[in-house]
Amino acid sequence: MAYAYLFKYIIIGDTGVGKSCLLLQFTDKRFQPVHDLTIGVEFGARMITIDGKQIKLQIWDTAGQESFRSITRSYYRGAAGALLVYDITRRDTFNHLTTWLEDARQHSNSNMVIMLIGNKSDLESRREVKKEEGEAFAREHGLIFMETSAKTASNVEEAFINTAKEIYEKIQEGVFDINNEANGIKIGPQHAATNATHAGSLFLRLAAQTGPLAHSLTLSSCPAET
Amino acid sequence: MNFLRGVMGGQSAGPQHTEAETIQKLCDRVASSTLLDDRRNAVRALKSLSKKYRLEVGIQAMEHLIHVLQTDRSDSEIIGYALDTLYNIISNDEEEEVEENSTRQSEDLGSQFTEIFIKQQENVTLLLSLLEEFDFHVRWPGVKLLTSLLKQLGPQVQQIILVSPMGVSRLMDLLADSREVIRNDGVLLLQALTRNNGAIQKIVAFENAFERLLDIITEEGNSDGGIVVEDCLILLQNLLKNNNSNQNFFKEGSYIQRMKPWFEVGDENSGWSAQKVTNLHLMLQLVRVLVSPNNPPGATSSCQKAMFQCGLLQQLCTILMATGVPADILTETINTVSEVIRGCQVNQDYFASVNAPSNPPRPAIVVLLMSMVNERQPFVLRCAVLYCFQCFLYKNQKGQGEIVSTLLPSTIDATGISVSAGQLLCGGLFSTDSLSNWCAAVALAHALQENATQKEQLLRVQLATSIGNPPVSLLQQCTNILSQGDKIDRRGSKIQTRVGLLMLLCTWLSNCPIAVTHFLHNSANVPFLTGQIAENLGEEEQLVQGLCALLLGISIYFNDNSLESYTKEKLKQLIEKRIGKENFIEKLGFISKHEFYSRASQKPQPNFPSPEYMIFDHEFTKLVKELEGVITKAIHKSSEEDKKEEEVKKTLEQHDSIVTHYKNMIREQDLQLEELKQQISTLKCQNEQLQTAVTQQVSQIQQHKDQYNLLKVQLGKDNQPQGSYNDGSQMNGIQPEEIGRLREEIEELKSNQELLQNQLAEKDSLIENLKSSQPSPGANEESSATDSARDSEQIADLKQELATLKSQLNSQSIEITKLQTEKQELLQKTEAFAKSVPEPEQSETVTAAKATDVEGRLSALLQETKELKNEIKALSEERTAIKEQLDASNSTIAILQNEKNKLEVDITDSKKNKTIFWCCWLIRIRKYFH
Ligand SMILES: Nc1nc2c(ncn2[C@@H]2O[C@H](COP(=O)(O)OP(=O)(O)OP(=O)(O)O)[C@@H](O)[C@H]2O)c(=O)[nH]1
Ligand SMILES: [Mg+2]
Repeated sequence: MAYAYLFKYIIIGDTGVGKSCLLLQFTDKRFQPVHDLTIGVEFGARMITIDGKQIKLQIWDTAGQESFRSITRSYYRGAAGALLVYDITRRDTFNHLTTWLEDARQHSNSNMVIMLIGNKSDLESRREVKKEEGEAFAREHGLIFMETSAKTASNVEEAFINTAKEIYEKIQEGVFDINNEANGIKIGPQHAATNATHAGSLFLRLAAQTGPLAHSLTLSSCPAET
Repeated sequence: MNFLRGVMGGQSAGPQHTEAETIQKLCDRVASSTLLDDRRNAVRALKSLSKKYRLEVGIQAMEHLIHVLQTDRSDSEIIGYALDTLYNIISNDEEEEVEENSTRQSEDLGSQFTEIFIKQQENVTLLLSLLEEFDFHVRWPGVKLLTSLLKQLGPQVQQIILVSPMGVSRLMDLLADSREVIRNDGVLLLQALTRNNGAIQKIVAFENAFERLLDIITEEGNSDGGIVVEDCLILLQNLLKNNNSNQNFFKEGSYIQRMKPWFEVGDENSGWSAQKVTNLHLMLQLVRVLVSPNNPPGATSSCQKAMFQCGLLQQLCTILMATGVPADILTETINTVSEVIRGCQVNQDYFASVNAPSNPPRPAIVVLLMSMVNERQPFVLRCAVLYCFQCFLYKNQKGQGEIVSTLLPSTIDATGISVSAGQLLCGGLFSTDSLSNWCAAVALAHALQENATQKEQLLRVQLATSIGNPPVSLLQQCTNILSQGDKIDRRGSKIQTRVGLLMLLCTWLSNCPIAVTHFLHNSANVPFLTGQIAENLGEEEQLVQGLCALLLGISIYFNDNSLESYTKEKLKQLIEKRIGKENFIEKLGFISKHEFYSRASQKPQPNFPSPEYMIFDHEFTKLVKELEGVITKAIHKSSEEDKKEEEVKKTLEQHDSIVTHYKNMIREQDLQLEELKQQISTLKCQNEQLQTAVTQQVSQIQQHKDQYNLLKVQLGKDNQPQGSYNDGSQMNGIQPEEIGRLREEIEELKSNQELLQNQLAEKDSLIENLKSSQPSPGANEESSATDSARDSEQIADLKQELATLKSQLNSQSIEITKLQTEKQELLQKTEAFAKSVPEPEQSETVTAAKATDVEGRLSALLQETKELKNEIKALSEERTAIKEQLDASNSTIAILQNEKNKLEVDITDSKKNKTIFWCCWLIRIRKYFH
């Protein structure tokens, strides 16, 4: 599929906040109720449309567990966007945001767009972090903010798409150097259409020749009379 | 370290001693000299000694060299020497030309020194940071050293690189180095770095490795490129093999499309260098990595689709049919095509449509099968063709049907000009080459795999064995060959033929009671099987015995008891009597215990080191796994248990049939519902049309009513006709304003008439006076009196008629209102019904009830509509009647008017001469009406 731009994303945040679920909901429109601990990093992709342009999102869902931190850090540098996720029902995941943000800022390119996500908004009764707190944190650190639910799919599309919009705007403003792929942005192939040569026509050209297989015609033993 | 000391200690005195002293001196200079030049020279001297005195330099100089790396970074030359020296110590590469027996020792040396070097993790990190140095003297030996470390102790070094910040990412930059040597060695370094480490593979892929490597391959001229292309391909394989995440990324990144040009080699005669063959081999393997049968099903199928969409499969098929392709490339291409089409309908359909460039063109499948049953083709090629055929038929009912159909009587080409797949398979099945027998049998079995229809179809195949003899069925011919197998002189292992045929028969008969019946129908078959199983044969016959036991077991397990002489029960008794239950089960177990069995059960590809290993087919091992247990159970079971089970089975079947029955019913009801829905919508449409028709008619009737009312008013008020109308005027078509006008005229006429009558009365009295004064009586007056009496009679009649009409109209309008309300009700019902219809997902009873309800309502609806139509018909008839009456009354009116006119003329005539005023008035009236 031809695309105008390709953006690389990473999803980061504490273990169990729902990063893999957000990705699954975005790519497959499914929800996975059991915590399937991510080992290292998993890849997912989807095409979206912004401003009438096809944009391919390549997303790396990272493991939140501390032990994988050194691996997941390798993905910061090449990403154009990051979804930093916490769980609104677990205050500790919100408290860790500062560390995540420092880590991200340290290892990523300075233009990386960061979207702060308060996930599990469907669990209102168990809420520990107020929406206003998330908003305040985002304002303070210059992030975009949204509350989502990977379970009900509420705001999931928006989270990924709004991040892309922000990146897209930065490209329009000339902030991003789109020719440097290390920024996590790639311009689409100009002529994506491939002229698949139809095999039949090649066969015609080859018709006069005899290959080893065609040659076997004469060699093969006569089939039994049937 | 003990080892090193041992080596050191064991060395005799002599030149080594002095070298050791020299090395020591050099090390001291490196460590203590304050002059850079001095240190540099010392390191250079160490480097020159490091190959010959690897052990000594290694032991004494390593820590000094590391120190140099830490402290002398500003001088690239000394760093370069130090890295070179370390490389010589650690690497085993350079020693390959040295005597054989020292190799083992040097391998140990390399890993020992590596262990010492990486013990301090900072050393690796230091090396990584040195690689950021652009200077060729630093970067190149740095790359080589790190590669060596990775080759020695991969997992440990990988772990250190993985945890050092941006370690992997930095190494990726090597691919972008403009100096080819560094880029190429960078590829080798990444090969070692990514080996068996999924996490690193993913990071490398994330850092755009696919893009870079594909670019390099393209730049180097694809398969015509040198060893760099080979190295890149190996690295790509490292990144993709068994790494689902990376495979997904590769596919999503549209990199499959970029593989297509790799295979544009079919029709050029640029020759096949060894390097090109190697490159192409790796390229084909890379395709296979993406569509491996061991990948998750979804991943493989999406890659298969992409390969068709971008024309990669088509490109591979041209290689398949091209000339001059080396045999091993051809073989690997066949294997690759196999896996690209396996279980993917679109690709299988495409493959079936490929034609070989022969004259006349033949299907590629036929040409391939020719090679499979051709002894002169290489063994691996024949295996590949079999695999291709299997993959073509895998989960491809359509393809299976097509292959089997080429064997059926109706489709066999009598002219014999074109050979069909079926004929080739039969030919292979009965040829004197045992390998062909095996391949053809397995191929045919795959045409039957999980396909009951084709199992039955194949029973129809009859073979003409020799002229004069009656034809024999394919099934019988297989068992004939089995039983007389030993008489035929064959090339190759006899066992292969029999194993092949038995696998075919087992596949054929399993899950197909009709085939079992056919098989048992020949009275020679069961004795043959029991004979084989019962005999005490040598070890090499054990497998055949096992397969015979399996075939007999299948004949029992899938037996529908339709043959009196070979019911389940009788066969089991036979086993007990002739073989013994335990013996039978032991023989059955020989199959899965065979040494080649587990190998075949692992992968679908028939991949055998040599022809003798060609024994089991992968799909067949699945069948054995499935049946071994159930057959054992079936044999062990007593007849009572059997009966019980039979009963249970029957009730289960009954349940099944009930369920099926209900399912069918639901399906039918669904259809009915759909039909009814459509009927309702057409009815609704009709209803609307009818309603508009009714409304139109109602308004027409209303018009008529108005007209009648008008007439009534006119006639009711006109006790005597007055005024004059033109003869031709027709009441029916008169418009309301005209009526109004007429009414006014009538009014005027009426007043005039009154005036006239007054005048007449005056005149009458005048005439009376005149009469009394004149002797002749006035005849005119008399006739005029009778006339008016007749007039008033007629008017009374008319009035009467009008009254009846009026009441008729009234009743009609009541009827219409009734009709309208009925219509309204009907419409509401229809809507309500339509709303209740589109929820068929409820339970079956509800659905059924709904359906009957719907049906009832519909018939009521239909009835009502019919009634309505009738009513409308009656109405329109009545309307016509009314119209006729109207016409009649119109004409009466016209007659009346005529008479009135006459009367007037009479009166005029009688009064003409009496007064001028009278004439003037008459003229005025005439003028008015003209
Ligand atoms: N109710 C609710 N549960 C959620 C939501 N998102 C995720 N979960 C649950 O939270 C658990 C963890 O989700 P994951 O997506 O596997 O968490 P993760 O962030 O990928 O965790 P790591 O892979 O260990 O980093 C799972 O049991 C999910 O079912 C949500 O929006 N609502
Ligand atoms: Mg996860």
